[in-house]
Amino acid sequence: MISKRFVIKRLLLLVPVLFGVATFVFAILHLSPGDPARVIAGQRASEEFVRQIRTELGLNDPIWVQYGRFLFEAVQLDFGQSYQIQRGQPVTEVLRYKLPVTLEMAIYGQLFGILLGIPAGLLGAVKQDAVSDHVTRIGALTGISVPIYWSGPLVILLFAQVLGWFPASGRIASEFSIEPITGVITFDTLISGNFAAFQSAAMHLLLPSLVIGIYSMALISRMMRSSMLEVIRQDYMRTARAKGQGSKITVMKHGFQNALIPVVTVIGIQFGSLLGGAVLTETVFGIAGIGTLLVRAIQVGDYPIVQGTVLTFAFLFTMVNLLVDITYSYLDPRIEQ
Amino acid sequence: MAPDDSLKRRSFLKAAGGAAAAATLAGCTGDDTQESTDTTEESGGDDTTEEMGGEETTAEDDSESGGTTLTYARGSSSGSLDFQSTTSGEVAKVTNQIYNGLVQFDPGTTSIVSGLATEYNVDGSTITMTLREGVQFHNGEEFTADDYVATYERFTNPDHEYYPGDDYVSAYGSYSLGTIDSVEKTGDYGLEITLAKPYAPMIPNLAMFCSRVHSEAAIQEYGDTLNENAVGTGPFELDNWDQGNERIRLSANDDYWGEVPKVDEVVFTVVGKNNSRAQTLDSGGADIIDGLGAGSSQIVEESNNAELVSMPGINVGYMAFNMARFEPFRNKKVRQAVNYAINTKAIVDTIFQGIASEASQPIPESVMGYNDSLDPYPYDTEQAQSLLEEAGYGDGFEFELATFKNPRTYNPSPIQAAQTVKSNLNEVGITVNINQQPFDPFLEYTDTYKHDACFLGWMTDNADPDNFHYALLHPGVSTDAVPDGQDWIDPDNHDGINTLDAAAWANTEYMNLVEEAQTSYEESARAPKYEQAAEIFHEEVPWVAMNHAKALRGVGNHVEGFKIAPIAGPFLNVVSLNE
Amino acid sequence: MSTQTETEDVGDRGVVERLRASPFLSQLLSNRLAVAGLAIIFGMLAIGLYARLFIDLQSVTTSQIGTNPNVAPPSWLGPKEAQVVTDYGTWAYPFGTDIQSRDIFRRVLYGAWIALKFGTITVAASTVLGVGLGIIAAYYGDITDNVIMRTMDVLLAFPSLLLALALVAIFGSGLWKVVIALTLVYTPRFARVVRGAALKVLEDEYIEATEALGAKDPRVLVRHILPNCLAPITVQSTLNFGLAIIDIAALSFLGFGSEAGTPEWGLMLANGVELGLLTGDWWWSFFPGLFLAITVLGFNLLGDGMRDALDPRMRETVD
Repeated sequence: MISKRFVIKRLLLLVPVLFGVATFVFAILHLSPGDPARVIAGQRASEEFVRQIRTELGLNDPIWVQYGRFLFEAVQLDFGQSYQIQRGQPVTEVLRYKLPVTLEMAIYGQLFGILLGIPAGLLGAVKQDAVSDHVTRIGALTGISVPIYWSGPLVILLFAQVLGWFPASGRIASEFSIEPITGVITFDTLISGNFAAFQSAAMHLLLPSLVIGIYSMALISRMMRSSMLEVIRQDYMRTARAKGQGSKITVMKHGFQNALIPVVTVIGIQFGSLLGGAVLTETVFGIAGIGTLLVRAIQVGDYPIVQGTVLTFAFLFTMVNLLVDITYSYLDPRIEQ
Repeated sequence: MAPDDSLKRRSFLKAAGGAAAAATLAGCTGDDTQESTDTTEESGGDDTTEEMGGEETTAEDDSESGGTTLTYARGSSSGSLDFQSTTSGEVAKVTNQIYNGLVQFDPGTTSIVSGLATEYNVDGSTITMTLREGVQFHNGEEFTADDYVATYERFTNPDHEYYPGDDYVSAYGSYSLGTIDSVEKTGDYGLEITLAKPYAPMIPNLAMFCSRVHSEAAIQEYGDTLNENAVGTGPFELDNWDQGNERIRLSANDDYWGEVPKVDEVVFTVVGKNNSRAQTLDSGGADIIDGLGAGSSQIVEESNNAELVSMPGINVGYMAFNMARFEPFRNKKVRQAVNYAINTKAIVDTIFQGIASEASQPIPESVMGYNDSLDPYPYDTEQAQSLLEEAGYGDGFEFELATFKNPRTYNPSPIQAAQTVKSNLNEVGITVNINQQPFDPFLEYTDTYKHDACFLGWMTDNADPDNFHYALLHPGVSTDAVPDGQDWIDPDNHDGINTLDAAAWANTEYMNLVEEAQTSYEESARAPKYEQAAEIFHEEVPWVAMNHAKALRGVGNHVEGFKIAPIAGPFLNVVSLNE
Repeated sequence: MSTQTETEDVGDRGVVERLRASPFLSQLLSNRLAVAGLAIIFGMLAIGLYARLFIDLQSVTTSQIGTNPNVAPPSWLGPKEAQVVTDYGTWAYPFGTDIQSRDIFRRVLYGAWIALKFGTITVAASTVLGVGLGIIAAYYGDITDNVIMRTMDVLLAFPSLLLALALVAIFGSGLWKVVIALTLVYTPRFARVVRGAALKVLEDEYIEATEALGAKDPRVLVRHILPNCLAPITVQSTLNFGLAIIDIAALSFLGFGSEAGTPEWGLMLANGVELGLLTGDWWWSFFPGLFLAITVLGFNLLGDGMRDALDPRMRETVD
């Protein structure tokens, strides 16, 4: 059982962290070079126009007034308006369309990682000879050593260029026009019954999620294997076997649930670095999610977008970690103390 | 890029030359009103079509096949659907399809034709217009003079109820329409625009992308969400804007007052990488693409399914000497010496890889007032060295060259260009320190004259020479404010200085010429003044004029009637698709 | 982490001696994969040093158009169609050339130097910073501990690459700025690990004993806590090395790192992907990526082996 006290304690711990995160994000705008008003105004604006904008944005107010205003607005999920990329549009509005794109890719990638990683790890644990040990180990280490921005292009080269099986970039072929419902394209196309569009979207998603998935798989399989071995070694398992409760397989079954605990942690932590990796994957595959949005926002100095994106990433990451902790405490109640 | 590269480049230049001839000196001819509704009528199409492969002069009588969709792929998305809230060319590509202006640019040229106004008359500082009757907005409202008045007030009057706020409207309101004192309606189909002074660039400014016409009903309905809800009178209307996929879908306006589109739909999509975009064109995933660089245009050229179309762009890339800050640059001989010492030809040919041409003056050939007797400064280190010695800088000096980092149309590889400048000048004993910054901090840096010298560039707004000569080289103060015997001004001592004059150059003779050229509406009177101004520029060289970048498009072979336009494009209503 | 704390007399013996005394090194050297990792690292180091000493940086940075063939495939594959090249021996351009006609082989070699140099600086800086903060937090406890560790928590609330990007938005781009950003990103990990290890050491009586003898703060910190945290620090550093090299290249790949022209792997990959991938000029991005992956693999093999050597139970298999 998850104790209420644990969850509440964990939530309370979040408060200072999120406060610190918000402060850092506020600092991004104010420590960055350049005048935000100039960014908004552009090359043709007169000094007077720039001054007007500065006043309108409250950039002349004392810093603590601006900080207070930022925090006050941030808790209401108001991050201001985009300076350049979607000039004049609220940041939340911009993120609303971009976030599902990234999440969709990340979730499919993670699914690949789990579905391939857990069986691979188990297999490695069952066959405990030196060969399988080396193979899983090298495989996993190679998986985390190959950067996404290299495996991505290689996969494009092979599957899109040479074999021509999958499209090299984008999310869906240009002949389809999808009225976004949730923004998750495989879901939207499916519930609107447009199967041709669904197929196109799925084909577009496969390569990027696979590339992300390989990275996850490496870590998950490794953790699965070592944690399974650890569990098997534990005393009660030995006892179980001593009592003659059947074959290795039975033992495995028994140990699996316990072995999953650290794997869940890895999956959670992994999801965070996966979000980071999304920036690279989106860049390689030309997908317009919040990763590419962030990169562009930094390039053009659209600070409200930078702030909104970074805050969103941090919030997601923190929430996933929270979920992991709670799941962990559910699987292993001893954690509470 | 194989060694047979040079051959390609030659054919490339040939094609470009043809197009250049097309866009002749077609300026704004004051009271010469054009009434045609067929905007393609007297275009320079013949020349441009040459490189588009076997296409005949007009595409007028193409049959309309059912369900045709034209896909236009570009490098980045539109951030808005409101021409009043943007400075981005990507936005303009879409709004140009949805909205009309009172006057407009003729497709493929820089001359002005009628738009929502059928007639206009300029008399000193008063412009009177007769508006087109029977035109409907996409929301069914009829277009009248009230709509333009509302559009104008919304853009430029902070006290008006329609004004959506300083951080919504773009600087173009004051920049392009700032000379207007008032806009009055003289009837449902009559307008009187009063200017603060006679101002020749006003008519081209009214043809700009930012001077198009909103529906008053839509302004009232949407307010500051007009950037997501477009209601215009143009050949296409907004179908949907899929922000997650950066895709904008427009459908043909069959009731369009002008040339009704030949395709049913236009889709603007984004393919971020230039090469992917070229590849998409080749594989049929797009019909027209833009934003091509050297590598991607090669893919288009090698494609069997598409053609590369090019034309000299109306823009300029340059290096400005800050005479206010850096003393050696106040000496004309030093500026000339630097012009001789920099191998601009090498920069244009090998670093920009031929997607630009060398510049001799602020404006490119296709703009009125181009002085064709001027040549770019040749690369001549000996001449440079002797000029430096004459000026007393035989031992050289050291200065900082500020540049933006990321490529821009008029300067596709700023860092490498800066490195070339550095090594060129090193040969004549001048030490260059490169200071590279992202574009916006960089703009602030140059606006406040912190640079010794800087790279900059300019894309035209209205294809008028004033938009280069006055905008970039006039200090914005009166000639009386310039101290006698001095040809620069100190930005600290003047308010309201034109910060785009990054050289702080204030040559009174030049200033008088470009000011006079503003007040006369006759091309025959204006052109010689700009030619003379260009001569002064060439002698005084407040800049190293580097290049004019080309406009490049990739066009599928099945696309007919597309005309690459130097301004206000793309014109998609005249395009049709063959299966 | 048991091997270190088990050692009874930690007194004044040198670090190396202590390491030798522990089963750590022999454990490590008996791990063939770790040795392979070590070999890769030394190999790359040799390549990097060679490149730094014998390759003219100018010749691999600036355009070589006119000198070398343009965008030529690796020369053992033979020239492209219609490519007329004179100096085109089989091994003239083993990795081909890029759009500026630069020899990719020598660029890749030089990249090893850049990667190792900036990787080392990043890891060293974050280790020093993190170890310092971790020990201070553990030793002083209370408010100091709280302030330091809550700040670390905030930094850990961001996915690492994202935090690095946010910091780059503040600092601006450039390799050195990337190093600063990544140093801040990695510091909390060291601080956490070291704080944990240090707390464990502090629990042991002997520190109390030393304190009673009158040793003041700095000495206790340096002489007693630090040597005892050495093992986890070393493992963390090694594993972070691979990460640092990947992240530095990643930020360059995204356009925030090295300057145009620099023979840096991430930037080479970016150019290769942007300009060469879809035109079929695969060699342009393939080789820098290959070297990058091998280098990172080297550090990961070593770090993994070290972790095992420290925690020998992991090596056991069930009977």
